Amino acid sequence: MERLAIHHANGMEMVAVKDSAISENGTERTLYPYVTGTSVIGMKYKDGVILAADMGGSYGSTLRYKSVERIKHIGKHSLLGASGEISDFQEILRYLDELILYDNMWDDGNSLGPKEVHNYLTRVMYNRRNKFNPLWNSLVLGGVKNGQKYLGMVGMIGTHFEDNHVATGFGNHLARPILRAEWREDLSFEEAVKLLEKCLLVLLYRDRSAINKFQIAKITDEGVTISQPYALKTYWGFSAFQNPSKGAEGSW
Amino acid sequence: MDLDLSAPHSLGTTIIGVTYDGGVVLGADSRTSTGMYVANRASDKITQLTDNVYICRSGSAADSQVISDYVRYFLHQHTIQLGQPSTVKVAANLVRLLSYQNKNMLQMGIIVGGWDKYEGGQIYSVPLGGTILKQPFAIGGSGSSYLYGFFDQAWKEGMSKDEAEKLVVKAVSLAIARDGASGGVVRTVTINADGVTKNFYSGDSLPLWHEELEPHNSLLDILSSSSPEPMST
Repeated sequence: MERLAIHHANGMEMVAVKDSAISENGTERTLYPYVTGTSVIGMKYKDGVILAADMGGSYGSTLRYKSVERIKHIGKHSLLGASGEISDFQEILRYLDELILYDNMWDDGNSLGPKEVHNYLTRVMYNRRNKFNPLWNSLVLGGVKNGQKYLGMVGMIGTHFEDNHVATGFGNHLARPILRAEWREDLSFEEAVKLLEKCLLVLLYRDRSAINKFQIAKITDEGVTISQPYALKTYWGFSAFQNPSKGAEGSW
Repeated sequence: MDLDLSAPHSLGTTIIGVTYDGGVVLGADSRTSTGMYVANRASDKITQLTDNVYICRSGSAADSQVISDYVRYFLHQHTIQLGQPSTVKVAANLVRLLSYQNKNMLQMGIIVGGWDKYEGGQIYSVPLGGTILKQPFAIGGSGSSYLYGFFDQAWKEGMSKDEAEKLVVKAVSLAIARDGASGGVVRTVTINADGVTKNFYSGDSLPLWHEELEPHNSLLDILSSSSPEPMST
């Protein structure tokens, strides 16, 4: 928002706020998101880091796009998952593409690790926030370099941290309690997938913008693998679900 | 913006009522949301008023429940005083009366469906504001936006009971696929001269539409069954 200072005759300064989205030089700002992705969940496991997200792009309450890839690999050592505005995520991928390109052009045997990419993203998000023009995303950055596992998060206002397990959006409320109770340092790949799927199922039941189409991505010292899209079986067989308003007509 | 637990419970919904040769079929999804959180994933939005009249509720869960309670109460008295089952028209008009006279305070869309011996199967729409419209079929709730084109093409006069039920289940399932506010199971209630039949079509027994995939127990099953190239880089 731009502030126009209006000086009064008696010297007092009044400040008006101009709320226009298109400023003088013709650029635009994200005031609110349009096409959005929902939760991303991630955790460290024995061999590396594993991320999961559904493939939905919601347009308000409409489930408009159902094959959106919200987890992408960055260079050789990192995975990036994003929730929030998809166009801003695509812009971030362009920035990172350029970053990795310049890194490769040095041709010096070094390559940016997940910690460096996380730091870069933090600075990008925070600086945009300071200009009141945020990239409307919550990002999960995971990776492995030289055997060291890394998992971090950056929000749209620049809040950033590292942890053994992270989640964005609804995942914060629904998935993290499960992860806090059941995560261990030495989870095998199979155990990690099962744990993530437990979280994904809860999110599918309870998050309005979740769809039944997921991708799970893992990164180890060997490299990155992103699974093909798949769906999970849901359970509706509770006896109470058959006739819930029995004895209480008009209830839910 | 995400978990607003003090947001009013709203039946962002898909509700449908369809007449067929001999009665009516009412259908609905089962999702009740509080903001973006799914408060109840298996709600029953098709509510009984009398033995022969049921309603589909959409909009505010509280408003539609309270109004249906009042109408059930009035209809019960009416049945006693009349000495025979009340007609669908009377039930629908009672819903309309309460909706219209409290229009500033209520936010709900109702589809009234039932069978009586005078007019057979009937469907009445009572949307926001308290309009009453008798229709051969009616759709309502947020998910109905996605069904106008579908019904324009798929609706036919004089369907059989099975055709009507299949149409309703297909329609609700299509709306669930696209409306974030609709989901869960499909419930149907069929009302005719023989009485009332309730059905339940659970999430994983509904057909798969465009870009929807066959469900599995886990990614691990897929990885172990198809070895050659399950993953991409």
